[in-house]
Amino acid sequence: MGVLKFKRDHYGYLFIAPFVIAFLIFGLYPVYNTFYLSFTDTTLMSSEATWVGLQNFERLFADDVFTTAVLNTWKIWILNFIPQIGIALLLSIWFTNTRLKLRGVGAWRALYFLPNLLMPAAIAALFFSLFSFYGPVNQFMVRSGFLPEAKHYLQDPTITRGLVVFIQWWMWFGQTVIIIMAGMTAISISLYESAMVDGANAWQMFTRITLPLLKPILIFIFITSLVGGMQMFDIPYLLTDGRGSPGGSIMTNNILMYLKFSSTRGHIGAAATVGVVVFIMTTIVALGIYFVLRDRNK
Amino acid sequence: MTKNYNFNTKAIRVLIYIFLGILLLVTILPIWLLLVNATRSTSEIQQGVGFLPSTHIVENYEILTGRGLDLVRGFLNSLFIAVSVTVLTVYFAFLASYGIVVYNFRGKKLFAGFVVVLVLIPLQLSIIGFFQYMSRLGLTDNYAALILPSIASAFAVFFGIQYFQSVVIQDLIDAGRVDGASEIGIFHRIMMPLAMPGAVTLGIFAFIASWNNFFNPFILLSSIEKYTLPMLVQTLRGDVYRTEYGAIYLGLAITIVPVILIYIFLSRYIINGIAMGSVKE
Repeated sequence: MGVLKFKRDHYGYLFIAPFVIAFLIFGLYPVYNTFYLSFTDTTLMSSEATWVGLQNFERLFADDVFTTAVLNTWKIWILNFIPQIGIALLLSIWFTNTRLKLRGVGAWRALYFLPNLLMPAAIAALFFSLFSFYGPVNQFMVRSGFLPEAKHYLQDPTITRGLVVFIQWWMWFGQTVIIIMAGMTAISISLYESAMVDGANAWQMFTRITLPLLKPILIFIFITSLVGGMQMFDIPYLLTDGRGSPGGSIMTNNILMYLKFSSTRGHIGAAATVGVVVFIMTTIVALGIYFVLRDRNK
Repeated sequence: MTKNYNFNTKAIRVLIYIFLGILLLVTILPIWLLLVNATRSTSEIQQGVGFLPSTHIVENYEILTGRGLDLVRGFLNSLFIAVSVTVLTVYFAFLASYGIVVYNFRGKKLFAGFVVVLVLIPLQLSIIGFFQYMSRLGLTDNYAALILPSIASAFAVFFGIQYFQSVVIQDLIDAGRVDGASEIGIFHRIMMPLAMPGAVTLGIFAFIASWNNFFNPFILLSSIEKYTLPMLVQTLRGDVYRTEYGAIYLGLAITIVPVILIYIFLSRYIINGIAMGSVKE
C-alpha cells in the first residue's frame, strides 16, 4: 500500500506538467530573452546583434522622456488608486451595514462593476469622442452656460491626464467594492457584537476590527492594481495620438516601450530595456509590500 | 431619543441613496451615450446631446462597413482567439490545480507558492522578448502566439487551487479508483463535471480578458485580415471615419455589446468569481 500511494502521488507531476512546460516556453524564456536583449543593440531589421553591456540602460536613464514616463505612470496610478480604494471602502461599509439596510445592494454593485468588463480600447475611443471638440461634453457645457465657448479638452495636459485618471478609477472602483465586501462578510459578526458590548463606537470597530482583518485583501488589491497600473497602455495610448500627447502628459512606461519598439529602426534592444527596468521596479515594490506586510501579520 | 435616532438613520439613508444615484449616473452615462449614439445619425449627434435611441442604426452600419472596414471578420477573429484561449486556460489550469490539491508530491507547496508569485509579478513586460522569440520561430502574425501561452495562466491556477480545495470530494475519487478508473479518467469523468460552475466562472474571465486584449495582438499581428476587434477600434479613430460619428459609435457598441450580454446573463458567476479569486480562507 505504501508503495502504491507513493507511486500514485507522482501523478501530481503529470497533472502539472503541461503548465510547467508551457510556462518554461511562453513565460520564463521570454523573460530571459527580454533581459538578454536589453544588453544588446538588436533591431527588427538586422539579424546580427552585438553585446553592448549597460549602454541601453545608461541611455535610458539619461533620457528625460523615460523619467517623464515613469513619473506619469506613478502619478496616474496613485491618483486613481486613492479615490478607488476610498470610495470602495465607503461603499462596502454602507452595503454591509446592518443598521442602514440599504436596498438593492446586489444591483448597485453589479452596475458599478460594469465598466470593468468593457474593452479598454473601446472605452478610450469613446472618451475621445465624448471629449472631442464637437463632442457631447462641449455641447452640454456650452449650451448650459458652464463654458463661454467650446474647449479643446484633449490639448490640455492637466485635463487629459485627469481624464485618464478618471477612466482608470471608473473602470476599477466597482471591482474593488466586490473584493472588499467579500472580505468584510468573511469577518465574524461575533467580533463586532463583543466590541459593541464593550462600548466601542462605529469608528473604533472599523479601525480596530475591520481594517486589520481586511489587511490581506487590501494588500492583494494594492499589488494587483500596482502591477496593472505600471503596465497601463490601452487607455493613454488610444485616447490621444499614441505618443503621450499633449505635452507628454499621458506618456506611460508601456507607451515608451512601444514607441522604441515601433520606431523606424525598430530598436528592440532599447524597448526591452524599458521592459526590464519597469519589471524590476514593479516586482521590487510588489513583492516588497507582499512580504513585509505579510510577515508582520504573523 | 429613539425617535431622534430613527430620524437620523433615515436622513443618512436618503443622503446615501442620493450619493449612490450620482455615482450610478457617472458609471452608466458614458456607456448609455455610446449605445444611444450608435442608433442616432451623425447630424442628430451634431445637433446636441440626446439620451433616447433613434432609428438610424442600419444607416450607421452601412457607413461603418461600406468603407473597407471588415468588422465581421474582426469579430470572428476575436471570437476564435477568445474561445481557444478560454478552453486552454480552463482545461490546463484545472488539470494543474487538481493535481496540486489531490496529490501529495514533493515540491507541491513550493509550486503553489511559485504560482502566487507569478500572479504578483508583471510578466507582461517581457512582451519584447516574447515577440523577438516568436519572430525567430516564424510565429508572429500567427494566432498560436496569442493562444498557446494561455496553457500557463498563473492566475487561473491560483483560482483553480482555491476552487478545488472546496469542491474535491476524496470519497468520489476513491470510489472511482475502486471501479478501476485511471487517475486522468477520474479527473475527466468525475471531477470536471463536478467543477463545472468554477469552470464557467474562470472561462468567463478568460474569455473577456482575451476579447478585450489590445496590447498583445497589437504587438504580434501585422496582416490586416488577422486584426482583432480592439485593433479595428483604432482604425475607427482614423481619417476614414473622421466625421461619421454615428458609425464610429456603432462600431464601438458592436465591440462591447457581446460582453454586456454575457454580463446580463452571467453576472452572478462573474461577481462571485471575483470574490473567490481574491479571498483566501
